[in-house]
Amino acid sequence: MAAFPSVDWFDEVRNVFNADDRYRGAGGGYCNCVAGFKIVDRVFVLTFDGFECSAAAEGDDGSLDDVDFYLEMPGEEWRDMVANIAANGGADLHHTLNTLDLDRADGLATSRHGDQVREDLFFRYNQTLQFFFDASALVETEFA
Amino acid sequence: MANKPAPKPAPPKSTASDEKRTFEPKYNWMNKTRQWGVRVRPGKAGLKLGDLNVGIYGETPTQWADQSRNPRGAVPRRGMPPVGYSIRDKAGLWADCAADLYEEAIQRRWAPATDVPWDTIEPLPDDVEHAVCQVCTELVGYANVDIETITGWQHQMSYGYHEVKQFLATASFDAARHYECFRKRALANGGGLGLEGPGMVNRMILESRGGWTEAVVYLLVMRGAFTMTLYKYLGRHAHNDAERFIYAHALADKARHVTYALDHLKYAVAHADDALQVVRTLIAIGEGGLTRDLRDPVLPEALAVIFAGGVAKAAGRGMAVYGELMGDFVQTYLGYCQWLGVPRDPARLPPPLNEYANPNNAERRVSPQPKPSPNSFANAAGAANPKNAGA
Repeated sequence: MAAFPSVDWFDEVRNVFNADDRYRGAGGGYCNCVAGFKIVDRVFVLTFDGFECSAAAEGDDGSLDDVDFYLEMPGEEWRDMVANIAANGGADLHHTLNTLDLDRADGLATSRHGDQVREDLFFRYNQTLQFFFDASALVETEFA
Repeated sequence: MANKPAPKPAPPKSTASDEKRTFEPKYNWMNKTRQWGVRVRPGKAGLKLGDLNVGIYGETPTQWADQSRNPRGAVPRRGMPPVGYSIRDKAGLWADCAADLYEEAIQRRWAPATDVPWDTIEPLPDDVEHAVCQVCTELVGYANVDIETITGWQHQMSYGYHEVKQFLATASFDAARHYECFRKRALANGGGLGLEGPGMVNRMILESRGGWTEAVVYLLVMRGAFTMTLYKYLGRHAHNDAERFIYAHALADKARHVTYALDHLKYAVAHADDALQVVRTLIAIGEGGLTRDLRDPVLPEALAVIFAGGVAKAAGRGMAVYGELMGDFVQTYLGYCQWLGVPRDPARLPPPLNEYANPNNAERRVSPQPKPSPNSFANAAGAANPKNAGA
């Protein structure tokens, strides 16, 4: 059982995501970006390279300067999202990344560099990112 | 030229049995190459279009003088009549990301016929189905303009910049896919197509004659940012997995088009005299056209019905969400302008855009309550069903 959030947890999700060919078709697949995730006071950086998520690492606040975009929301909402995915086998309409982005006054995805092209990678690859988190339904999770 | 082609093979000596032949191969074409011995290797993601840009094959000059269809890097054939391409300056179409976007579009393709879970669509209240069909009707119109505009300019682009031509081929195919799936959604649940959109922006886009860059400003930045925002909100308020799939994937496609647009405009501004001022002027003109469309009540009303789950709450809750949508669109649009180096003063945007630009103006943003218009379906039968309301 992996604790959320942790590198171990992201690695387990990566293993599920990378091994499932279904995530590569029907509008998913090819994805190149470096995405940050700010979960309370911890920062995780995922690297998507071609058809797979090739790396997950823990960083610090300064790491967010370099990512293409990062997602930030309160710890409770991260937990809600992960729990919802586990309960439903995938995010329901209230817990998709798109919904969470629209429901927050400042959005879910942002960046520090202000480069619109890099920020818009969140929307170009939104379905892949959703597939990635939906893959966590197959990872036994405990909340740290 | 570091590598020479292998010597051409010597023609076989003729024999008696060959004497009737009228064709003697000479293989002269085998010496015709500008660079030989190229061995491009596939990487982790395969052999990508951008990987081919090695040696002379990667040379993309600022102006493409060749007026023929000669593929970049090939030996031109003498005496070829000019085709008459009007876009031969790199600044008129180029985006560094075009090759990567082409690969992305190919690899992230989806098929509405089989990938969309159409069987998840269930009957909706009449008013909601009317609203969904009306929105789909307008989105079909948008997609049609995408196709016509892109293909209308594509054949005027020089072959020297094939990455852009190839990417735009995927963009027009994306648009065809959007045309297909929104039409299918409108006809899949007991409804049908609704009222044609007002079309002021469509006409402005289709009739722009100033060059591809002008079309990019109207079609992919202004309309593109608006359409992206629509997809986000429609995905947020989807009634079933089929709609959710459609809007999520159309959003990814459209984001790719907008990425090309922003990258191209950045390139044009950096490499063409006066381009910055031209883009600034085009944006001001485009905003005028956009606001004329936005004053039409049909799309806001239909969206409000979807967002509120029916006509009963459309005027209040539905229009409030529509105000949020417009606020998000304007913020996105202003962000694009800022990034391109043509910042817009929100207060000087034409109404109603300026009203949505000020987040403190929330009261006013929701003020345009839908009034029954000649084309309104506000009295449509079917009570709001909370079950079908968006989250």
